[in-house]
Amino acid sequence: MKKVLIIDDDADFAASVSALLQHSGHYVLRARDGTEGVAMAAAEKPDVILCDVMMRERTEGFFTIQTLRRTPGLEDTPILVISSIYETLPFFTAPPERSWLHHDAFLRKPINPDTLLEMVQAAT
Amino acid sequence: VSTRLQAERVVVIDDDHAMRLSCKQILARMGFDVELFDNGANGLDGVARLKPVLVVVDLKMPGIGGMDVVARVHEMDPEAVILVITGYATIDTAVEAMKAGAYDFLPKPFSPDELRVIVNRSLERRSLLREARQLREDQEQLRRRFVTFVSHQLQSPLSAVHQYLDVLKRLSATSASEAQRAEWLERCLTRTDELQELIRDWLTLARVEGGSFVRTSEPVDLRAVIADLPERYGDRAAAQQVTIRVQSPPDPCPVLADRKALDVLVDNLIVNAIKYNRPQGTVVVSLACHGNEIRLAVADTGVGIPESQREFLFNEFFRVQSDATRTLPGTGLGLAICKRIASELGATIEVESREGEGTTFSVALPLVTPGNDAALAGAAVEDRE
Repeated sequence: MKKVLIIDDDADFAASVSALLQHSGHYVLRARDGTEGVAMAAAEKPDVILCDVMMRERTEGFFTIQTLRRTPGLEDTPILVISSIYETLPFFTAPPERSWLHHDAFLRKPINPDTLLEMVQAAT
Repeated sequence: VSTRLQAERVVVIDDDHAMRLSCKQILARMGFDVELFDNGANGLDGVARLKPVLVVVDLKMPGIGGMDVVARVHEMDPEAVILVITGYATIDTAVEAMKAGAYDFLPKPFSPDELRVIVNRSLERRSLLREARQLREDQEQLRRRFVTFVSHQLQSPLSAVHQYLDVLKRLSATSASEAQRAEWLERCLTRTDELQELIRDWLTLARVEGGSFVRTSEPVDLRAVIADLPERYGDRAAAQQVTIRVQSPPDPCPVLADRKALDVLVDNLIVNAIKYNRPQGTVVVSLACHGNEIRLAVADTGVGIPESQREFLFNEFFRVQSDATRTLPGTGLGLAICKRIASELGATIEVESREGEGTTFSVALPLVTPGNDAALAGAAVEDRE
Protein backbone atom coordinates (compact mmCIF):
# COMPACT_ATOMS: atom_id res chain seq x y z
CA MET A 1 0.00 0.00 0.00
CA LYS A 2 1.23 3.49 -0.89
CA LYS A 3 0.19 6.87 0.40
CA VAL A 4 -0.58 8.88 -2.74
CA LEU A 5 -1.19 12.64 -2.95
CA ILE A 6 -3.12 13.93 -5.97
CA ILE A 7 -2.73 17.66 -6.68
CA ASP A 8 -5.25 18.63 -9.34
CA ASP A 9 -7.90 21.33 -9.64
CA ASP A 10 -10.07 19.07 -11.79
CA ALA A 11 -12.23 17.41 -9.14
CA ASP A 12 -13.54 14.83 -11.61
CA PHE A 13 -10.11 13.70 -12.63
CA ALA A 14 -9.04 13.44 -8.98
CA ALA A 15 -12.22 11.56 -8.04
CA SER A 16 -11.84 8.87 -10.68
CA VAL A 17 -8.11 8.38 -10.19
CA SER A 18 -8.41 8.24 -6.43
CA ALA A 19 -11.18 5.63 -6.69
CA LEU A 20 -8.93 3.56 -8.90
CA LEU A 21 -6.01 3.81 -6.49
CA GLN A 22 -8.16 3.14 -3.44
CA HIS A 23 -9.62 0.11 -5.13
CA SER A 24 -6.10 -1.23 -5.51
CA GLY A 25 -5.48 -0.77 -1.82
CA HIS A 26 -3.69 2.60 -1.80
CA TYR A 27 -4.37 5.45 0.58
CA VAL A 28 -5.20 8.66 -1.29
CA LEU A 29 -5.04 12.34 -0.32
CA ARG A 30 -6.39 15.10 -2.55
CA ALA A 31 -5.41 18.76 -2.88
CA ARG A 32 -7.23 21.24 -5.11
CA ASP A 33 -4.32 23.57 -5.85
CA GLY A 34 -0.58 23.93 -5.46
CA THR A 35 -0.64 25.75 -2.14
CA GLU A 36 -2.85 23.12 -0.54
CA GLY A 37 -0.77 20.40 -2.18
CA VAL A 38 2.54 21.63 -0.77
CA ALA A 39 1.06 21.98 2.72
CA MET A 40 -0.44 18.48 2.58
CA ALA A 41 2.74 16.95 1.22
CA ALA A 42 4.82 18.58 3.96
CA ALA A 43 2.44 17.36 6.67
CA GLU A 44 1.62 13.90 5.34
CA LYS A 45 4.87 12.88 3.61
CA PRO A 46 3.23 10.83 0.87
CA ASP A 47 5.07 7.99 -0.88
CA VAL A 48 4.26 9.41 -4.30
CA ILE A 49 2.76 12.64 -5.64
CA LEU A 50 0.64 13.07 -8.77
CA CYS A 51 0.74 16.73 -9.83
CA ASP A 52 -1.19 18.47 -12.59
CA VAL A 53 0.51 21.28 -14.54
CA MET A 54 -2.16 23.68 -15.76
CA MET A 55 -4.14 24.57 -12.70
CA ARG A 56 -5.94 27.76 -11.77
CA GLU A 57 -2.97 30.05 -12.29
CA ARG A 58 -2.09 28.14 -15.44
CA THR A 59 1.59 27.77 -14.59
CA GLU A 60 0.88 26.85 -11.00
CA GLY A 61 2.04 23.26 -11.42
CA PHE A 62 5.58 24.31 -12.32
CA PHE A 63 5.95 26.32 -9.13
CA THR A 64 4.30 23.60 -7.11
CA ILE A 65 6.80 21.00 -8.28
CA GLN A 66 9.75 23.30 -7.61
CA THR A 67 8.41 24.12 -4.15
CA LEU A 68 7.86 20.45 -3.37
CA ARG A 69 11.45 19.70 -4.32
CA ARG A 70 12.72 22.42 -2.01
CA THR A 71 10.63 21.27 0.93
CA PRO A 72 12.62 19.33 3.56
CA GLY A 73 11.68 15.68 3.50
CA LEU A 74 10.22 15.83 -0.02
CA GLU A 75 13.46 16.17 -2.00
CA ASP A 76 13.30 12.57 -3.14
CA THR A 77 9.57 11.87 -3.13
CA PRO A 78 8.61 10.55 -6.57
CA ILE A 79 6.58 13.14 -8.49
CA LEU A 80 4.50 11.98 -11.43
CA VAL A 81 3.51 14.94 -13.58
CA ILE A 82 0.10 14.62 -15.21
CA SER A 83 -1.22 16.90 -17.92
CA SER A 84 -3.10 16.95 -21.18
CA ILE A 85 -0.77 19.42 -22.87
CA TYR A 86 2.61 17.78 -23.17
CA GLU A 87 3.11 18.33 -26.89
CA THR A 88 4.07 21.94 -26.29
CA LEU A 89 6.16 21.30 -23.22
CA PRO A 90 9.25 19.50 -24.49
CA PHE A 91 11.04 19.56 -21.15
CA PHE A 92 8.43 17.19 -19.79
CA THR A 93 9.13 14.59 -22.40
CA ALA A 94 12.86 14.92 -22.00
CA PRO A 95 14.28 12.18 -19.80
CA PRO A 96 13.41 13.30 -16.24
CA GLU A 97 17.03 13.26 -15.09
CA ARG A 98 17.74 16.02 -17.60
CA SER A 99 14.64 18.07 -16.83
CA TRP A 100 15.01 21.11 -14.60
CA LEU A 101 11.78 20.14 -12.88
CA HIS A 102 13.31 16.98 -11.43
CA HIS A 103 10.06 15.13 -11.80
CA ASP A 104 10.16 11.38 -12.04
CA ALA A 105 7.78 10.69 -14.88
CA PHE A 106 5.28 12.32 -17.15
CA LEU A 107 1.80 10.91 -17.71
CA ARG A 108 -0.62 12.25 -20.22
CA LYS A 109 -4.28 12.67 -19.34
CA PRO A 110 -6.32 10.56 -19.53
CA ILE A 111 -4.02 8.14 -17.76
CA ASN A 112 -4.07 4.47 -18.59
CA PRO A 113 -5.15 2.79 -15.31
CA ASP A 114 -2.66 -0.07 -15.65
CA THR A 115 0.25 2.28 -16.30
CA LEU A 116 -0.69 4.43 -13.34
CA LEU A 117 -1.05 1.48 -10.96
CA GLU A 118 2.28 0.07 -12.10
CA MET A 119 4.05 3.39 -11.62
CA VAL A 120 2.54 4.00 -8.20
CA GLN A 121 3.43 0.46 -7.17
CA ALA A 122 6.99 0.86 -8.43
CA ALA A 123 7.54 4.31 -6.91
CA THR A 124 10.08 4.33 -4.11
CA VAL B 1 -4.19 48.58 15.46
CA SER B 2 -2.94 46.52 12.57
CA THR B 3 -4.70 43.66 10.88
CA ARG B 4 -1.68 42.71 8.79
CA LEU B 5 -0.89 39.03 8.99
CA GLN B 6 2.83 39.43 8.99
CA ALA B 7 4.69 42.60 9.94
CA GLU B 8 5.72 44.28 6.70
CA ARG B 9 9.11 45.92 6.72
CA VAL B 10 9.68 49.64 6.48
CA VAL B 11 13.00 51.43 6.15
CA VAL B 12 13.36 55.06 7.26
CA ILE B 13 16.40 56.98 5.98
CA ASP B 14 16.83 60.36 7.64
CA ASP B 15 19.82 62.15 9.19
CA ASP B 16 17.57 63.81 11.77
CA HIS B 17 17.49 61.68 14.91
CA ALA B 18 14.19 63.05 16.27
CA MET B 19 12.48 62.59 12.90
CA ARG B 20 13.67 58.95 12.65
CA LEU B 21 12.30 58.17 16.08
CA SER B 22 8.92 59.78 15.52
CA CYS B 23 8.53 57.99 12.16
CA LYS B 24 9.41 54.73 13.90
CA GLN B 25 6.83 55.32 16.59
CA ILE B 26 4.02 56.09 14.15
CA LEU B 27 4.86 53.28 11.72
CA ALA B 28 5.44 50.67 14.43
CA ARG B 29 1.98 51.45 15.79
CA MET B 30 0.57 50.79 12.33
CA GLY B 31 2.00 47.29 12.62
CA PHE B 32 5.15 47.69 10.56
CA ASP B 33 8.55 46.30 11.37
CA VAL B 34 10.65 49.50 11.21
CA GLU B 35 14.41 49.81 10.60
CA LEU B 36 16.18 53.18 10.84
CA PHE B 37 19.23 54.48 8.97
CA ASP B 38 20.93 57.83 9.39
CA ASN B 39 22.48 58.20 5.94
CA GLY B 40 21.93 57.25 2.32
CA ALA B 41 24.72 54.68 1.97
CA ASN B 42 23.66 52.67 5.02
CA GLY B 43 20.05 53.08 4.02
CA LEU B 44 20.65 51.60 0.56
CA ASP B 45 22.47 48.62 2.10
CA GLY B 46 19.52 48.21 4.43
CA VAL B 47 17.02 48.28 1.58
CA ALA B 48 19.03 45.69 -0.35
CA ARG B 49 19.18 43.43 2.69
CA LEU B 50 15.70 43.91 4.18
CA LYS B 51 13.59 44.23 1.01
CA PRO B 52 11.07 46.58 2.61
CA VAL B 53 7.62 47.31 1.15
CA LEU B 54 7.99 50.96 2.10
CA VAL B 55 10.98 53.30 2.19
CA VAL B 56 10.73 56.75 3.77
CA VAL B 57 13.52 59.03 2.55
CA ASP B 58 14.53 62.49 3.69
CA LEU B 59 15.60 64.56 0.70
CA LYS B 60 18.23 66.71 2.39
CA MET B 61 20.97 64.55 3.81
CA PRO B 62 24.75 64.75 3.86
CA GLY B 63 26.55 62.13 1.72
CA ILE B 64 24.35 60.46 -0.91
CA GLY B 65 21.47 62.86 -1.44
CA GLY B 66 17.85 61.85 -0.96
CA MET B 67 17.07 62.15 -4.65
CA ASP B 68 19.81 59.63 -5.53
CA VAL B 69 18.60 57.32 -2.78
CA VAL B 70 15.09 57.43 -4.27
CA ALA B 71 16.39 56.60 -7.74
CA ARG B 72 18.59 53.73 -6.49
CA VAL B 73 15.84 52.21 -4.33
CA HIS B 74 13.45 52.40 -7.27
CA GLU B 75 16.01 50.68 -9.45
CA MET B 76 16.53 47.91 -6.88
CA ASP B 77 12.83 47.24 -6.40
CA PRO B 78 10.38 49.05 -8.68
CA GLU B 79 7.50 47.88 -6.50
CA ALA B 80 8.81 49.31 -3.23
CA VAL B 81 6.75 52.30 -2.15
CA ILE B 82 9.00 55.31 -1.69
CA LEU B 83 7.80 58.31 0.33
CA VAL B 84 9.83 61.48 0.36
CA ILE B 85 9.85 63.85 3.33
CA THR B 86 11.56 67.18 3.34
CA GLY B 87 11.65 70.55 4.99
CA TYR B 88 12.41 72.24 1.67
CA ALA B 89 9.21 71.44 -0.14
CA THR B 90 8.84 72.97 -3.55
CA ILE B 91 6.82 71.80 -6.52
CA ASP B 92 10.04 71.27 -8.48
CA THR B 93 11.64 68.94 -5.93
CA ALA B 94 8.34 67.05 -5.59
CA VAL B 95 8.13 66.53 -9.35
CA GLU B 96 11.76 65.49 -9.50
CA ALA B 97 11.28 62.96 -6.69
CA MET B 98 8.20 61.49 -8.37
CA LYS B 99 10.15 61.16 -11.61
CA ALA B 100 12.90 59.33 -9.75
CA GLY B 101 10.32 56.81 -8.54
CA ALA B 102 8.79 58.25 -5.37
CA TYR B 103 5.11 57.52 -4.72
CA ASP B 104 4.30 60.56 -2.67
CA PHE B 105 5.70 63.58 -0.95
CA LEU B 106 5.25 64.82 2.60
CA PRO B 107 6.45 68.30 3.66
CA LYS B 108 7.83 68.74 7.17
CA PRO B 109 6.46 69.25 9.69
CA PHE B 110 3.68 66.67 9.41
CA SER B 111 1.28 65.14 11.89
CA PRO B 112 1.15 61.41 12.66
CA ASP B 113 -2.22 61.29 10.91
CA GLU B 114 -0.78 62.79 7.74
CA LEU B 115 1.93 60.14 7.64
CA ARG B 116 -0.57 57.37 8.34
CA VAL B 117 -2.93 58.50 5.58
CA ILE B 118 -0.18 58.85 3.03
CA VAL B 119 1.36 55.45 3.91
CA ASN B 120 -1.97 53.65 3.67
CA ARG B 121 -2.86 55.35 0.43
CA SER B 122 0.49 54.49 -1.14
CA LEU B 123 0.39 50.85 -0.08
CA GLU B 124 -3.14 50.53 -1.40
CA ARG B 125 -2.07 51.92 -4.72
CA ARG B 126 0.90 49.58 -4.76
CA SER B 127 -1.28 46.52 -4.30
CA LEU B 128 -3.65 47.71 -7.04
CA LEU B 129 -0.73 48.23 -9.43
CA ARG B 130 0.68 44.85 -8.50
CA GLU B 131 -2.60 43.09 -9.11
CA ALA B 132 -3.03 44.85 -12.45
CA ARG B 133 0.48 43.90 -13.48
CA GLN B 134 -0.07 40.27 -12.59
CA LEU B 135 -3.30 40.17 -14.56
CA ARG B 136 -1.60 41.79 -17.53
CA GLU B 137 1.20 39.25 -17.45
CA ASP B 138 -1.34 36.48 -17.21
CA GLN B 139 -3.25 37.79 -20.23
CA GLU B 140 0.00 38.27 -22.13
CA GLN B 141 1.02 34.71 -21.44
CA LEU B 142 -2.39 33.54 -22.56
CA ARG B 143 -1.98 35.36 -25.86
CA ARG B 144 1.45 33.89 -26.42
CA ARG B 145 0.34 30.37 -25.69
CA PHE B 146 -3.16 30.63 -27.08
CA VAL B 147 -3.22 27.33 -28.94
CA THR B 148 -1.91 25.49 -25.89
CA PHE B 149 -4.53 27.11 -23.74
CA VAL B 150 -7.44 26.36 -26.05
CA SER B 151 -6.38 22.76 -26.45
CA HIS B 152 -6.09 22.47 -22.68
CA GLN B 153 -9.61 23.83 -22.25
CA LEU B 154 -10.93 21.37 -24.81
CA GLN B 155 -9.03 18.40 -23.50
CA SER B 156 -9.75 18.83 -19.81
CA PRO B 157 -13.42 17.78 -19.89
CA LEU B 158 -12.67 15.07 -22.41
CA SER B 159 -9.87 13.67 -20.23
CA ALA B 160 -12.10 13.73 -17.16
CA VAL B 161 -14.87 11.82 -18.95
CA HIS B 162 -12.44 9.33 -20.42
CA GLN B 163 -10.90 8.77 -17.01
CA TYR B 164 -14.29 8.12 -15.43
CA LEU B 165 -15.25 5.66 -18.16
CA ASP B 166 -11.92 3.88 -17.94
CA VAL B 167 -12.16 3.50 -14.18
CA LEU B 168 -15.85 2.56 -14.39
CA LYS B 169 -15.06 -0.18 -16.86
CA ARG B 170 -12.41 -1.51 -14.57
CA LEU B 171 -14.38 -1.34 -11.36
CA SER B 172 -17.81 -2.19 -12.74
CA ALA B 173 -17.73 -5.85 -11.74
CA THR B 174 -16.37 -5.20 -8.29
CA SER B 175 -16.37 -2.44 -5.76
CA ALA B 176 -17.90 0.65 -7.31
CA SER B 177 -21.31 1.11 -5.73
CA GLU B 178 -24.44 1.89 -7.71
CA ALA B 179 -24.58 5.34 -6.16
CA GLN B 180 -21.00 6.10 -7.08
CA ARG B 181 -21.50 4.87 -10.61
CA ALA B 182 -24.61 7.05 -10.99
CA GLU B 183 -22.75 10.07 -9.65
CA TRP B 184 -19.87 9.52 -12.06
CA LEU B 185 -22.19 9.15 -15.04
CA GLU B 186 -23.87 12.40 -14.01
CA ARG B 187 -20.46 14.10 -13.89
CA CYS B 188 -19.62 12.70 -17.34
CA LEU B 189 -22.78 14.30 -18.70
CA THR B 190 -21.96 17.62 -17.02
CA ARG B 191 -18.46 17.61 -18.44
CA THR B 192 -19.60 16.72 -21.97
CA ASP B 193 -22.15 19.58 -21.72
CA GLU B 194 -19.29 21.86 -20.70
CA LEU B 195 -17.27 20.72 -23.69
CA GLN B 196 -20.18 21.25 -26.06
CA GLU B 197 -20.79 24.71 -24.68
CA LEU B 198 -17.13 25.58 -25.15
CA ILE B 199 -17.11 24.35 -28.75
CA ARG B 200 -20.35 26.22 -29.45
CA ASP B 201 -19.00 29.47 -28.00
CA TRP B 202 -15.69 29.04 -29.76
CA LEU B 203 -17.44 28.54 -33.09
CA THR B 204 -19.71 31.52 -32.51
CA LEU B 205 -16.72 33.69 -31.76
CA ALA B 206 -14.90 32.46 -34.85
CA ARG B 207 -17.95 33.08 -37.02
CA VAL B 208 -18.52 36.57 -35.64
CA GLU B 209 -14.86 37.39 -36.25
CA GLY B 210 -15.00 35.87 -39.73
CA GLY B 211 -17.96 38.08 -40.56
CA SER B 212 -20.41 35.28 -41.24
CA PHE B 213 -22.45 35.56 -38.07
CA VAL B 214 -24.15 38.93 -38.40
CA ARG B 215 -25.79 38.44 -41.78
CA THR B 216 -28.81 40.68 -42.06
CA SER B 217 -29.57 44.24 -41.15
CA GLU B 218 -33.27 44.78 -40.79
CA PRO B 219 -35.45 46.95 -38.59
CA VAL B 220 -35.95 45.38 -35.19
CA ASP B 221 -37.99 46.81 -32.32
CA LEU B 222 -35.80 46.15 -29.28
CA ARG B 223 -38.92 45.90 -27.13
CA ALA B 224 -39.71 42.65 -28.94
CA VAL B 225 -36.20 41.35 -28.24
CA ILE B 226 -36.55 41.74 -24.50
CA ALA B 227 -40.30 41.26 -23.96
CA ASP B 228 -40.29 37.51 -23.40
CA LEU B 229 -36.99 37.30 -21.47
CA PRO B 230 -38.69 36.71 -18.07
CA GLU B 231 -40.53 33.77 -19.58
CA ARG B 232 -37.62 32.36 -21.58
CA TYR B 233 -35.12 32.56 -18.72
CA GLY B 234 -37.63 32.08 -15.90
CA ASP B 235 -36.63 28.51 -15.04
CA ARG B 236 -32.93 29.22 -15.08
CA ALA B 237 -33.44 32.32 -12.92
CA ALA B 238 -35.74 30.50 -10.50
CA ALA B 239 -33.11 27.80 -10.02
CA GLN B 240 -30.80 30.57 -8.71
CA GLN B 241 -33.67 32.30 -6.82
CA VAL B 242 -33.31 35.29 -9.11
CA THR B 243 -36.16 37.40 -10.57
CA ILE B 244 -36.04 38.91 -14.06
CA ARG B 245 -37.81 42.19 -14.79
CA VAL B 246 -38.14 44.02 -18.07
CA GLN B 247 -38.61 47.78 -18.40
CA SER B 248 -39.69 48.92 -21.87
CA PRO B 249 -40.72 52.40 -22.93
CA PRO B 250 -44.22 52.82 -24.50
CA ASP B 251 -42.77 53.96 -27.85
CA PRO B 252 -41.02 51.68 -30.36
CA CYS B 253 -37.23 51.33 -30.14
CA PRO B 254 -36.24 50.64 -33.73
CA VAL B 255 -32.69 49.65 -34.63
CA LEU B 256 -31.17 48.03 -37.69
CA ALA B 257 -29.75 44.68 -36.69
CA ASP B 258 -29.57 40.96 -37.19
CA ARG B 259 -32.19 39.60 -34.80
CA LYS B 260 -30.38 36.29 -34.25
CA ALA B 261 -27.12 38.06 -33.38
CA LEU B 262 -28.97 40.39 -31.02
CA ASP B 263 -30.54 37.40 -29.30
CA VAL B 264 -27.11 35.79 -28.81
CA LEU B 265 -25.75 39.04 -27.38
CA VAL B 266 -28.66 39.45 -24.97
CA ASP B 267 -28.52 35.75 -24.09
CA ASN B 268 -24.91 36.01 -22.97
CA LEU B 269 -25.58 39.10 -20.88
CA ILE B 270 -28.66 37.70 -19.18
CA VAL B 271 -27.10 34.31 -18.50
CA ASN B 272 -24.18 36.10 -16.81
CA ALA B 273 -26.52 38.36 -14.86
CA ILE B 274 -28.31 35.30 -13.48
CA LYS B 275 -25.18 33.29 -12.84
CA TYR B 276 -23.23 36.02 -11.04
CA ASN B 277 -26.21 37.15 -8.99
CA ARG B 278 -27.06 36.45 -5.36
CA PRO B 279 -30.04 34.48 -4.06
CA GLN B 280 -33.15 36.71 -3.99
CA GLY B 281 -31.38 39.01 -6.43
CA THR B 282 -32.87 40.61 -9.52
CA VAL B 283 -31.96 41.09 -13.14
CA VAL B 284 -33.41 44.20 -14.75
CA VAL B 285 -33.35 44.50 -18.52
CA SER B 286 -34.23 48.01 -19.65
CA LEU B 287 -34.35 50.18 -22.77
CA ALA B 288 -33.83 53.91 -22.88
CA CYS B 289 -33.31 56.42 -25.69
CA HIS B 290 -30.43 58.86 -25.43
CA GLY B 291 -30.21 61.18 -28.42
CA ASN B 292 -29.49 59.09 -31.49
CA GLU B 293 -28.98 55.85 -29.67
CA ILE B 294 -30.87 53.28 -27.70
CA ARG B 295 -29.33 51.84 -24.63
CA LEU B 296 -30.14 48.28 -23.71
CA ALA B 297 -29.03 47.65 -20.13
CA VAL B 298 -28.80 44.39 -18.21
CA ALA B 299 -28.33 45.05 -14.50
CA ASP B 300 -27.70 42.44 -11.84
CA THR B 301 -27.46 42.62 -8.06
CA GLY B 302 -24.45 40.34 -7.77
CA VAL B 303 -20.99 40.56 -6.22
CA GLY B 304 -19.67 43.06 -8.75
CA ILE B 305 -16.38 43.06 -10.62
CA PRO B 306 -13.16 44.33 -9.00
CA GLU B 307 -12.01 47.48 -10.76
CA SER B 308 -8.56 46.12 -11.56
CA GLN B 309 -10.11 43.28 -13.55
CA ARG B 310 -12.55 45.28 -15.65
CA GLU B 311 -10.16 46.08 -18.49
CA PHE B 312 -9.80 42.36 -19.21
CA LEU B 313 -13.51 41.48 -19.09
CA PHE B 314 -13.99 41.29 -22.84
CA ASN B 315 -10.82 39.28 -23.49
CA GLU B 316 -11.19 35.71 -24.63
CA PHE B 317 -11.05 33.23 -21.76
CA PHE B 318 -10.77 35.90 -19.12
CA ARG B 319 -12.82 35.03 -16.06
CA VAL B 320 -13.23 37.23 -13.00
CA GLN B 321 -10.99 35.91 -10.28
CA SER B 322 -12.63 35.94 -6.89
CA ASP B 323 -13.55 33.40 -4.26
CA ALA B 324 -17.24 34.03 -4.87
CA THR B 325 -17.06 33.10 -8.55
CA ARG B 326 -14.25 30.57 -8.56
CA THR B 327 -16.44 27.49 -8.74
CA LEU B 328 -19.00 28.80 -11.24
CA PRO B 329 -18.86 27.08 -14.60
CA GLY B 330 -18.29 29.08 -17.77
CA THR B 331 -16.26 29.16 -20.95
CA GLY B 332 -14.81 32.64 -20.51
CA LEU B 333 -15.95 33.47 -24.05
CA GLY B 334 -19.41 35.01 -23.51
CA LEU B 335 -18.36 38.62 -23.16
CA ALA B 336 -15.79 38.33 -25.95
CA ILE B 337 -18.69 37.22 -28.16
CA CYS B 338 -20.84 40.14 -26.95
CA LYS B 339 -18.12 42.64 -27.70
CA ARG B 340 -17.57 41.31 -31.23
CA ILE B 341 -21.30 41.16 -32.01
CA ALA B 342 -21.80 44.69 -30.68
CA SER B 343 -19.01 45.92 -32.89
CA GLU B 344 -20.50 44.17 -35.95
CA LEU B 345 -23.84 45.84 -35.18
CA GLY B 346 -22.23 49.27 -34.97
CA ALA B 347 -22.95 49.30 -31.25
CA THR B 348 -20.78 49.80 -28.19
CA ILE B 349 -20.83 47.84 -24.97
CA GLU B 350 -19.90 49.17 -21.57
CA VAL B 351 -19.77 47.93 -18.03
CA GLU B 352 -20.44 49.64 -14.74
CA SER B 353 -19.93 47.81 -11.50
CA ARG B 354 -19.91 48.30 -7.77
CA GLU B 355 -18.39 45.60 -5.66
CA GLY B 356 -21.00 44.04 -3.42
CA GLU B 357 -23.85 45.81 -5.20
CA GLY B 358 -23.99 44.66 -8.78
CA THR B 359 -22.97 45.07 -12.37
CA THR B 360 -24.68 46.66 -15.35
CA PHE B 361 -23.76 45.94 -18.94
CA SER B 362 -25.18 48.40 -21.45
CA VAL B 363 -25.23 48.15 -25.20
CA ALA B 364 -25.73 51.39 -27.12
CA LEU B 365 -27.23 50.85 -30.59
CA PRO B 366 -27.85 53.54 -33.21
CA LEU B 367 -31.53 54.48 -33.28
CA VAL B 368 -33.34 54.34 -36.61
CA THR B 369 -34.52 57.85 -37.39
CA PRO B 370 -34.70 59.69 -40.74
CA GLY B 371 -31.80 61.82 -39.46
CA ASN B 372 -29.16 59.15 -39.03
CA ASP B 373 -29.67 56.87 -42.01
CA ALA B 374 -26.09 57.58 -43.02
CA ALA B 375 -24.77 56.30 -39.73
CA LEU B 376 -26.87 53.21 -40.18
CA ALA B 377 -25.54 52.58 -43.65
CA GLY B 378 -22.09 52.45 -42.11
CA ALA B 379 -23.21 49.76 -39.73
CA ALA B 380 -25.10 47.78 -42.33
CA VAL B 381 -23.66 44.51 -43.48
CA GLU B 382 -25.34 43.63 -46.77
CA ASP B 383 -22.27 44.54 -48.78
CA ARG B 384 -20.34 41.76 -47.12
CA GLU B 385 -22.44 39.02 -48.64
